[in-house]
Amino acid sequence: MTEQAIARLRRSPRRLLEKDGVPGAGPGSLSLVLARAGVGKTAFLVGIGLDALLAGQRVLHVTLDRTIDKVRDWYDDLLLELLRLEPEAPPAAELQLAVERRRHIHTFLGNSFSVDRLRTATEVLADHMDFRPEVLVVDRLDLDRVPREEIAALKAIAAGLGAELWMSCRTHREGPRPRPGHLPPPADRIEDLVDLAFRLEPEEDTVRLEVVEDRGELLARQTRIVLDPRRLLLRPGA
Amino acid sequence: MKDTIGRIRNIGISAHIDSGKTTLTERILYYTRRIHAIHDVRGRDGVGATMDHMELEKERGITITSAATRVRWRDHAINIIDTPGHVDFTIEVERALRVLDGAVLILCAVAGVQSQSITVDRQMRRYRVPRIAFINKCDRSGANPEKVALQLRDKLGHTPVLLQLPVGLEADFSGVIDLVEMKLLRFEGAAGEQVVEGPIPPELLPRAEERRTEMLDVLSMYSDELMEAALEDRATPELIHEALRRGVRSLDLTPVLLGSAYKNRGVQPVLDAIVRYLPSPLDVRAEALDLDREEAPVELAPDPDAPTVALAFKLEDGRYGQLTYLRVYQGTLRRGDTLVNARSGRRIRIGRLVRIHADQMEDIDVAPAGDIVGLFGVDCRTGDTFCSPGTRLAMTSMHVPEPVVSLGIAPADAASQAKVARALARFAKEDPTFRVRQDEESGQTVISGMGELHLEVYVERMRREYGARVEVSPPEVAYRETVSRRSDFNYLHRKQTGGSGQYARVAGYIEPLEEGTYEFVDQIRGGAIPTEFIGSCDKGFRTAMEKGSLIGAPVTGVRVVINDGAAHAVDSSDMAFQAAARMAFREAYRRAAPRILEPLMRVSVEGPAEFQGAIYRSLMQRRGTILGSTEDGGFCRIEAEVPLGEMFGYATDLRSATQGKAEFTMEFARYAPVPPDVAERLLAERRTGAPVEEKR
Repeated sequence: MTEQAIARLRRSPRRLLEKDGVPGAGPGSLSLVLARAGVGKTAFLVGIGLDALLAGQRVLHVTLDRTIDKVRDWYDDLLLELLRLEPEAPPAAELQLAVERRRHIHTFLGNSFSVDRLRTATEVLADHMDFRPEVLVVDRLDLDRVPREEIAALKAIAAGLGAELWMSCRTHREGPRPRPGHLPPPADRIEDLVDLAFRLEPEEDTVRLEVVEDRGELLARQTRIVLDPRRLLLRPGA
Repeated sequence: MKDTIGRIRNIGISAHIDSGKTTLTERILYYTRRIHAIHDVRGRDGVGATMDHMELEKERGITITSAATRVRWRDHAINIIDTPGHVDFTIEVERALRVLDGAVLILCAVAGVQSQSITVDRQMRRYRVPRIAFINKCDRSGANPEKVALQLRDKLGHTPVLLQLPVGLEADFSGVIDLVEMKLLRFEGAAGEQVVEGPIPPELLPRAEERRTEMLDVLSMYSDELMEAALEDRATPELIHEALRRGVRSLDLTPVLLGSAYKNRGVQPVLDAIVRYLPSPLDVRAEALDLDREEAPVELAPDPDAPTVALAFKLEDGRYGQLTYLRVYQGTLRRGDTLVNARSGRRIRIGRLVRIHADQMEDIDVAPAGDIVGLFGVDCRTGDTFCSPGTRLAMTSMHVPEPVVSLGIAPADAASQAKVARALARFAKEDPTFRVRQDEESGQTVISGMGELHLEVYVERMRREYGARVEVSPPEVAYRETVSRRSDFNYLHRKQTGGSGQYARVAGYIEPLEEGTYEFVDQIRGGAIPTEFIGSCDKGFRTAMEKGSLIGAPVTGVRVVINDGAAHAVDSSDMAFQAAARMAFREAYRRAAPRILEPLMRVSVEGPAEFQGAIYRSLMQRRGTILGSTEDGGFCRIEAEVPLGEMFGYATDLRSATQGKAEFTMEFARYAPVPPDVAERLLAERRTGAPVEEKR
């Protein structure tokens, strides 16, 4: 498997964002993807995770109330989709194995999640498996309920690991309207902690990606990136 | 009859090994007058505890098979299934739980909630079995029953309700204070058979009152009436019992009793609690599947007049032939009646019906719904359902874990051959987690089960019960070989040594096949190979793939394409083309970068979260790829893929790495290439014909 082949596979999504003038915020930063339920937050985060894995980074994917197999399937499906688009694709099994060796999925069931438990989990992974992630993905955390201090603590864990933190945030169709000059609720409570924020906006047959905050600056800039809702693949838009 | 069913209790006694299950059962049998002397569980008196009826169990001091026994206490019939405590025998526990309506969870007052208690409790929760807890060994040095009651809450997530306080502890443990009746209970007589009631000693009264208030606070949540009564300081024992009954049956509460079975203290109150709080068959909902209506669920009524439905949950080979333990869910079993085995459709006649008391039995004529009885003279398997003719119901299938450990066995001499075969057939029938198969490649008989001890016990039983001499060897891992790149072939097979010659040429290529074992593609144009010999080529390639040239393992994942060849009008034959294909494959195979594949197992390890690190390490040391981890309450589950060849001895290693608190399951996941060092070792073994020591 050549470096070029992998590079070609990496058509999504951090590279696309870089091209779009939104380079990653780097270790210790918090990037947030906002969307309503069912629009594609997990697909976006898996895209970020897989992108990092193909770039040779280690990824810790944390999720709530989902099984390991479910998350694994997301990664496998996306990888196979990328391989399908790559004419000189390396063998899927080989690549899958390489991905699996660099990825750890950690799920919390019931009410098991707490930032302290996550901290312990990262310490156990580092001590016993020598696994120190460069990208920390946290999906399905209910920002309506998690106190602001917990998110700050989460960001501190990422900073301690030297990892980029990517999180999902579910916004609501109903409920309080966004205040002008602020991120939509419930992300507004933590906007000072956020370095980059994206919003997924469903359109007729696609999902458009908007940058809503870039290192303290609030924007509403559309990127040229879209999420193909059928294949759950991020790709350049029209 | 309804009243009779309401007075049946089907209970199990479960706990960690050495917590005193057998001792408690023995005392229960004694106090209910089923036996007239108490024996030592370790068999020091040469008799052994009555429930440990197998010789092997007597020797090892552990209970392996479930023995059912029936006792009477305060006008109630209690069927007790004595369940094993070892982690390797969880199917026994699970099978018992399937037919039970309630259970007594024994905890050691010194060791507290141990690994097996956690496992067994999880199993009980899975089957929604209400339980009461008995904290045993309060006479032992270091006993701390109140700490153990807290562990019930913290480690098992129960809401424990302490119904008693100990009077003295360790060597001074002399009785208990009953917080419901607010009286002192002492156990007197040579074997503690006399329960003597008395007033609470004044020095213990304040603490007893404090604990009673705590108890009432918890119980008030389950009874408005009790709440009101407690506020007005007129909570009666009846109201307390009613609230407890309700809380226990909804699995919300766990009453906790204390004692020392060995010292004959505190056992009778356990019997009282069984009849008071644990449900009767009338309180428990049982469901069957209607085989005539696409397995639609049917609720069973514990009605003795309804069509009969009974589940065979355990088989034993005894002096009088097969003894089948049955739980009657609906209707009535009567001697002389005819029933149908829902699985096989075979009709059976109820011949000898017995109540079982460990290894003694009492003949009976009738067993109503809710009862547990034994039946002789019926050929069936564990898990079979027997119904009245005209009904085709099957009890919901029992959860049977997949075996995780295999061993190769062989009879050591000709005389043992038939004995081994008989024993294996019997064990496989008795125990659904014990499997026997013939390894197609090595021809070896492979037995599989839930752990090494599980299999060791069966090997031991073969020796002792069947007099068979058995040799045990570790099983061989089923390796495979495959190709990793395309390789062309063009092979001419020509032999002319007098008589009719042989002539065949095949050309084409082999390449890796992503999915599947083998694919044969015929791209011959213009009849270069006559149609009648295409099948011969296919057959030749298949034969060649039966043994790869690296380590002689079967070759898999290969696409063979033939696109050219040649034939001779006289000398070409089926045999010639088969030979050409075999040789062509061998020629191409060497250049196709062949690799050895090993089976990877999907391994799932579950245990307390504090052992997460130890579990990771144990898997990494075995070349495992960790897929992920799940936290759920205080537990964690680690999923990994580990080569099968590395999994032998894992049960033992895991147990020692986690103080026996973690358990694992594994199933075949896929084949994957072995790393270079393993390949080297396997090649060396092939060359030398002897095992090469593995570097770890």
